[in-house]
Parts: sequence; structure tokens; C-alpha cells
Amino acid sequence: MTNVELFARADSWFQSQQWQVFPFQKETWEHYLAGKNGLLNAPTGSGKTYALWIPIVLEQIRARSRSAKAKTGIKAIWITPLRALSVEIKQAAERVIEGFQLDLTVGIRTGDTAEAERRKQQKQLPDLLITTPESLQLMLASKDYAQRLAHCQAVVIDEWHELLGTKRGVQMELALSRMKTIAPNLRIWGISATIGNLEQAREVLLGLDSKTNEKAVLVQANIQKQIEVYAILPETMDAYPWRGHMGLHLLDEVAAIVKRSKTTLIFTNVRSACEIWFQQLLDRYPEFAGEIAMHHGSIAKETRLWVEQAIRDEQLKVVVCTSSLDLGVDFAPVETIIQIGGPKGVARFMQRAGRSGHQPGKKSVIYFLATHAMELIEASALQKAVKHTLVEDRIPYLNSFDVLVQYLTTLAVSDGFYPNEIRQEVQNTFCFQAMTDEEWRWILNFISKGGQSLQAYDEFKKVEIEADGKFKVNSRKIAMHHRMQIGTIVGDVSLQVKFLGGGYIGSIEEYFISRLKPGDIFQFGGRRLELYQIKNMQVLVRNATGSGKAKLASWLGGRLSFSAQMSQLLREELYRANTSDLSVELAAMEPVFTRQRRESIVPSSNEFLIETFKTREGYHSLFYPFEGRFVHEALASLLAYRISLLTPISFSLAYNDYGFELLSDQPIDLESVIDNNLFSASYVHQDLQSSLNATEMAKRKFRDIAVISGLVFTGYPGKLIKTKHLQGSSQLFFEVFRDYEPDNLLLQQAIRETFEHQLEEGRVILALERINQQNIVVKECSKPTPFSFPIITDRLREKLSSETLADRIAKMTASFMK
Amino acid sequence: MTTLLKYNQLEFVLHYSGAAFWKNGNCLLIADVHLGKVAHFRKNGLAVPAAVGLVNFELLEEVLSFFNPKSVIYLGDLFHSKTNNDWRAFSAFIERNAEQKHVLVAGNHDIISESHYKKLGIEVVSEIETHELLLTHHPTETDSKLNICGHIHPGVLLRGAGRQSLRLPCFFQSQNQLILPAFGVFTGKYILEPTATDRVFAIAQREVLDVSAYFQNQV
Repeated sequence: MTNVELFARADSWFQSQQWQVFPFQKETWEHYLAGKNGLLNAPTGSGKTYALWIPIVLEQIRARSRSAKAKTGIKAIWITPLRALSVEIKQAAERVIEGFQLDLTVGIRTGDTAEAERRKQQKQLPDLLITTPESLQLMLASKDYAQRLAHCQAVVIDEWHELLGTKRGVQMELALSRMKTIAPNLRIWGISATIGNLEQAREVLLGLDSKTNEKAVLVQANIQKQIEVYAILPETMDAYPWRGHMGLHLLDEVAAIVKRSKTTLIFTNVRSACEIWFQQLLDRYPEFAGEIAMHHGSIAKETRLWVEQAIRDEQLKVVVCTSSLDLGVDFAPVETIIQIGGPKGVARFMQRAGRSGHQPGKKSVIYFLATHAMELIEASALQKAVKHTLVEDRIPYLNSFDVLVQYLTTLAVSDGFYPNEIRQEVQNTFCFQAMTDEEWRWILNFISKGGQSLQAYDEFKKVEIEADGKFKVNSRKIAMHHRMQIGTIVGDVSLQVKFLGGGYIGSIEEYFISRLKPGDIFQFGGRRLELYQIKNMQVLVRNATGSGKAKLASWLGGRLSFSAQMSQLLREELYRANTSDLSVELAAMEPVFTRQRRESIVPSSNEFLIETFKTREGYHSLFYPFEGRFVHEALASLLAYRISLLTPISFSLAYNDYGFELLSDQPIDLESVIDNNLFSASYVHQDLQSSLNATEMAKRKFRDIAVISGLVFTGYPGKLIKTKHLQGSSQLFFEVFRDYEPDNLLLQQAIRETFEHQLEEGRVILALERINQQNIVVKECSKPTPFSFPIITDRLREKLSSETLADRIAKMTASFMK
Repeated sequence: MTTLLKYNQLEFVLHYSGAAFWKNGNCLLIADVHLGKVAHFRKNGLAVPAAVGLVNFELLEEVLSFFNPKSVIYLGDLFHSKTNNDWRAFSAFIERNAEQKHVLVAGNHDIISESHYKKLGIEVVSEIETHELLLTHHPTETDSKLNICGHIHPGVLLRGAGRQSLRLPCFFQSQNQLILPAFGVFTGKYILEPTATDRVFAIAQREVLDVSAYFQNQV
């Protein structure tokens, strides 16, 4: 059957559905049937799913027209980063299969797949399989995977922008490097929303080998959606808080918007805010009962699915949610989006906006609610960013040795591997393109000998090297531990929350629950719960009866930062505050600026503002580069380190997107430290490296690395494994590596990742160069200013000290002896 | 490097390693060494640097030659798990220090059979009672005697001006009980909340510092 005939069938099916074929869909079909690999840039809800399911199925029709006998076994794998989306994708595939009257089977394999279904798949994989990156790794960890996947013709990685720049993305790169070898007729396709570095996204996806790349294409849907951004402003600014991160002072304004619109999604940045907003809306507006719901990643799957269906069925007026609803297929009834607090990314903000007004020709409407006065500048900057589609890059990881350790162990667990063969594949991934021979040998040594082995009778046992050089795990126990560990790449240890009498409510981070005692009341999943006990990775609770104050479940979550472009927009907006050219938001901020000017200044483009003041806590010095949180983290530790060289001093550091604080128990002579080249753009690398050793930043980065590389065994939620004598914390590992094995590649990786992904060295140097051209204005204030308030009240802090431990203890002890 | 702790007529020299030397009895007390923990981890595929396993023995040698006691009493969790290659290193250590009497007060981790210890000339008991002291692994209530024990791996949190804070392992004495810090490296600590009447000796690198005043003046 020719392509023309195949397309004719697809066209007529589209017509029978009363759909129109978009040019980007057709373009993708053509490239796919021509055997090309590629990346499709199309937004959620644009019909991207059919851009790829159609040609995958057409290919089957073509194959059957050539040979009457259909081959069994897997034909295509569709990877989705979110389990919750798998059902929709399956339904789309089934619709196509039914439309073409084929007898292809479709299956889902995720962490939620029932045991019976898994066993069935073990015998015979479905023709089309929908799965997650973790479940694909698990397939590579099972025996004879190579034969089972040999006839796979396509892997589609959906929402690739969500994986790019994460370790799950690296996991995917490695899995694809293997798939290319074992399935010679494989086509690789990614689907991505708009990000700044689409070309690079394709390069990372396809890897560096010439064979895959010579047939590579980038298809862009070019669907421009009109987005309208409004800031929610109060009647008067008197009540606008200087800090706080909930924005509840605008609850009534939010309720009014909800009432005006068909269905509204309220996005919060963290799950705890989601819980609070849900509860407060319901308390203040009881009439919303039955029409309001909550959706976040820790809520039980059944509840989430119910909420999603209820949105589609127009049963809900408002849903309070987190990034858990960022992705996925259309929610047609959604008319309005409200974003609470800074979204920290233009791409994310636009994606959320795009969840509303889905019908063709309709525009998306998003309201931005600034949770404190300073965030209104952000609202103003965001409008510009959206107008010019200034979306940020997703920076891919390089040399993620933790993921490589996990991957090689995976291969050793299933059929074993020969290093020379795998080395070539790994080297062709984007992530490991620059890996050296020495590093590769270190990794092999690490998994087979546990690093440097000092004693002849060392008993390290994980991956064994067999007589013919094959790396293989032979211990069933180690294999089992490893399989359980694969799914935990996302990071934190989470515990299941269950009622005493049974009934799963959701999952919660150990970090939060470890601070509670039995009998404590906490708010979770919209309920008031009383902690009964924690047992076997389960948190047993009952409905709280007393009226005691409930603690709010919190999640560490990732703190995000502004991109360079967004930071620049933010500065430009701020500098406008001293002019008469004010946006609505800036005009509304006038009382804040007045307050700020009473003690200090609102800087103009040629000024760099530093404020100092003293409170009960100590001596505060605040710096305002307006460069985004990550750059401020680096600048803060850099400056603290440089000052600490001049005099023994201890600092506590805090930051946000506007500036940062150095807090100490002694005053800093700013004039003299500035004269001592405080802002010098020389020796930045060395000074950052030294400051990193003095703070705990790398230690925090190491948490994920220890889990992913299998150093810290987290167990598996709900399953009790005897690991009592094997419990170690990532902190302990960090300390022993630092003290006894400083050249350990995983430790080095933690330091490097802090630099590359957090400290953004290049941007730090640019920021210093900019500061050096500005007039430094030091304002001695008598009390905290509006600019400083959100920073000095932040509790997530870093420490840096050049005093001896004994001196610090002496001071702490003395300060209490009055 | 050391600090003196007096309790009635009893005198203890607290060493930065976590060991306590009971002067009157010429006896060294050591809790929670967790020997073999590193080897046990390695045997199960968790690559703790092998060098860490040797540090415990270096520290043991150091503290033994510093005090040169007549006897050494291990207050439980001497070994982390089953015997492994660290047992050989331990045997060699005992042979080198045969002039001392070694006694193990068994803890919850001590699952190695008594006969193994007997072969090395080490006595294994569940507790030791003198007319002034009750030596146990788990903290145990007594009426009049001083209970010295381990198990907890005590640590304290100190806060200072400018949002400074430190977490340090410590010797922890409350009323008639003295809990020793964990001697072993790669063991971790549990943060206690002392009251005004407790005495707390924090370990700060190579020093032992009395920080009780910090807790006496807190509300």
C-alpha cells in the first residue's frame, strides 16, 4: 500500500470523527512513514497524540499489506512522564485501532498496573505499550529483554520538555541508547511543548550517533494561542502583606472570579498552599461544597482520576491544584486559570494559561495573584514575557554518574553486559559524550569492587565479573533491592497515609511526618487527621475529633528560579518605578515604594542597593541584584566567603528572586569589605569552590545522588523488607566520602551539579560585572524595609563560618548567660 | 582533648572520641562502636569507602594508649551485625591489647555468638553492677546508682544569634544516668532536648566542651 493510499485512509477517518487534519500532523505522518526520527513541538491539547499514533498504526497496515501473516510482539512504546496520563493515551490509541478495524492490542505498564496484568505482559507484550521512564527501566532489568523488544519499531517520548533537564531524562537517554542496538528498526520521536532550546532538546533525545541523526527532523505546530494576563489587585494596597506566600488576603477577589467563570483551575506552587486554599475557599464560601475539588501529586490516584473526569463532565466549578494538572489532555470546560504566587517560569506560566479556552479561536485567560507586594513587579514582567514568548531553556544534565551507576546495575541484573559494547552506546548519549576512560573505569570499579578496595579479603558484593568478562548480578537479594530502587529516582522518601481501618488517602514526605508525634493533628487531602502511628513505611491516621490546631502537611518540593531573560525583564520593570511610565501593577505598588523610600531607595538602572539594619536576630546586610534565586544563592555564598577571609565570622544566608541577605551576630564594615574587592569578577571559580566546601549546598545535592546510585536504600512504599542493619543516610555517606574518598565521582558530581544547575557560574560573573559598573548605594536603615521583608523572614537558609567550632559554641553558650 | 566529669565521688575523663575513662576503677567505657558496619554494607552492595572500616580500629588504639586502662568495657553494639571480615581485624586488635581485660555488655545489635567472644578471652554479660555503678546498653532506671549506658547515640542542637545553629554528638547526663555518644564512625546521632538540670558535654572536633549552661538559661 502506498503512502498516498494510507493517508487517504487516515484522512477519511479524521472526517468520520468530524476532525480536521492539521498541517503539522500530516507533516509528522510523512516523516514517520519515511522512517525518520524527530521531535514534534506542539502544545498540549493540539492533537499531538494523533500526530504519532496514526502513522504508527498506518505502518502496521502497510506491513500487513506486504505479508499476510502478522508478527506478534511489541510494535511501539509510548513513554509518558505522568502515570495519570496513560489512560487517555490508551483511549486515543484504541480509537485509532477501532477506526481502522485492526486487531492490535494496547496495554499500560506503570507502577499502578495490577499483578495479573503484569504476568500477562510477561508472557506476551501488547502490540502497543504505554509506560513511564521508570517502568521502561524495569523492563531492561528483566531477563531476555533484548529478544522481547527486538521488533519494536517506535518509541515515542511524550512531554519530553518535562523530562529534559531532569535525571529521569538521563534515564531515558540511556534506555534509548540500548533500544537503538537491540531494535535495529527503531524510530525515536519526542513531543515537546515550546522551550527555549528545542534544537538541543532533539539532540539530547536522539543522541550523537550519526545513524540516528541523519534522518532527524524537527516539526513545529506553530499554534499561536492568544493569552491574556491580568493581575488580581485589591481595592486598596494598605492590606497587601510584605511577605507571606499564600495570598489569602485576595480570597474574596478569587471567589468572585470563580463565580463569573464556568470552570476555574487555581494553580499553587506547592502542595501545602493547595491544601490551604481549598480549605479556606470552602470555609468562607460553603456554597462551593460539592463543586470544589483539590488535585495534587500526593492524593490517592482514584481521587485524582475522579477529579479529572469531573472537570470534563462539568461537575466542578473550581479545582485547586499544583503542577499535577500541568500536563494531560483537554479539559474543555475550563475557562479561567488563576496562578497563585510567581510561577518562576514563563514556559510553565504559558502552559498553565493554555489549560483554559481550549476551543479553536478562544483565547486563554490567566489571572496572576501576587502573594506579597514585591511579586507585583513579577506580574508586570510576566505580561511582557508572555507577549514576546520569552520561554526559558531546559538545561540537560551532563555526566550524571548516579544515573549511570543505576543503569549499569540494571543491565547487570537482567542479562549482564560486556563493558566494551555498552561503553560505545553510553558514549553516544548527550549526557555522557564527554566521559573519559578513567571515569568509565571508575564507574565499573565502583559497581564491581565498591570503589577502592583496600583489603585483600574485602567482601564487597554487587556486580560480579564473570570469566568471560561479563558484568552480572547473581545475588537474588541484590537484584530484588535494585529493582525496587529503580522507581525512586524522583527523590524523597514518601510514606503512605492510611486510615487505621484501612483506606489509602495519599502519600507524604518523611521529612514532614518525622516532625509529628502520635496524637498530633495535621491537615492533608482536605481532611483533619490525627496521627496514630508510623509503621512499616505507613502512616496510620484517624479523623481528628478535637479542635486542636492542625499542622499543615508540607512538601520540600523544588524551589525554582528565574531565567536570565526573566530576571532582566524584572529589573527593567523595577527601574521603571522611578519614572512616570508605570504599569497597572507598578502603579498599585506606589504605597510600597513610598514606604521603601522612607528608609531606603528604589534603585534605578545605574544603582546597586545594599541595606543594613539591626534586629533582635542580629546584623542584617541585604543586597539586591535582581538576578533570580539561583544566582543569588551563589552570590551570597561567594560574598560571605570573601568577607569571612577578612575576619572570623559566621553567617546565615537567605535569598529570593530579588536579592539576598547575609545575617551575622556581628556588624560588617561594608565600606572596608567593598574596598577589599568584594565584588571582583576575578577568582570567582576558586572562591565559589571554597565557599561550597564551607556550606552544605553540595550535601543537599548529594541526597538525590545517593538514592539514585543505590547507596541509600529507601525500601518501597508499603512493602516491608528486612533492611534494619542497612539503613544509612545520604548525609553519613556524604561525610565519609568527603573525609575518606574525596575523589569519589558521585561526591564530585554533587559539587559539579551545585555549580552547573544551581550556581550558574557564568551568570554570577556577568552579575558581578554589572554591579561593578553601577553606583553602590549603602543605606543604613533603622528597621527592615519592604524590599527586605520577604528575604529576612525566609527560614530555608545556608550557613557559612570562618570561626572555630569551639569559639562558636562558647558564644552560643555565653549569649544565654545574662 | 578531654574534660573531667565529677559525679559524687566518681570521676570520669570524657574523651573526644566518645570514650569515658572511669578514674577510680581504672576502666575505659566505650559505647556503640558498630564494628563491621562498613563491611556489612559493602557485603550488601553499598559502597561505603573501605577505609572507613579501619578508622574505628585506629581510634580504639588511640584511646587505649592514651588512658592505658586496666579494663575496657564495651557498652553494647560493639558489632553492627553478623561476623564478617572486620572480625579478623577485631581479633588482631584484641591480641595486640591482651594486657587489658575486655568485657562486652551486650546490646541489641550484638548478635554474634558468645562463644566467638570467649575464644578471644572476652567476657559477655548483660549488665555490670558495682556498688556505685550500673553499666548497661539500654538506658536503665536505678534508685541510687549511676547508670552508664549507650544505645541512644545522643546529640544536641545549639542555636546562637544571627540564626546560627550546630548539631553535635554529646555525653548526656541527667540525674543518675550518663549516656555515652556513639564511638563508631558512620553511625549518626539522635538529637535530645536537655532540660536545665541535665549536664551536656558536646564533642567539637578534638575537644569536649561543657555546654550545660546553654540549657540552664533557656526558658
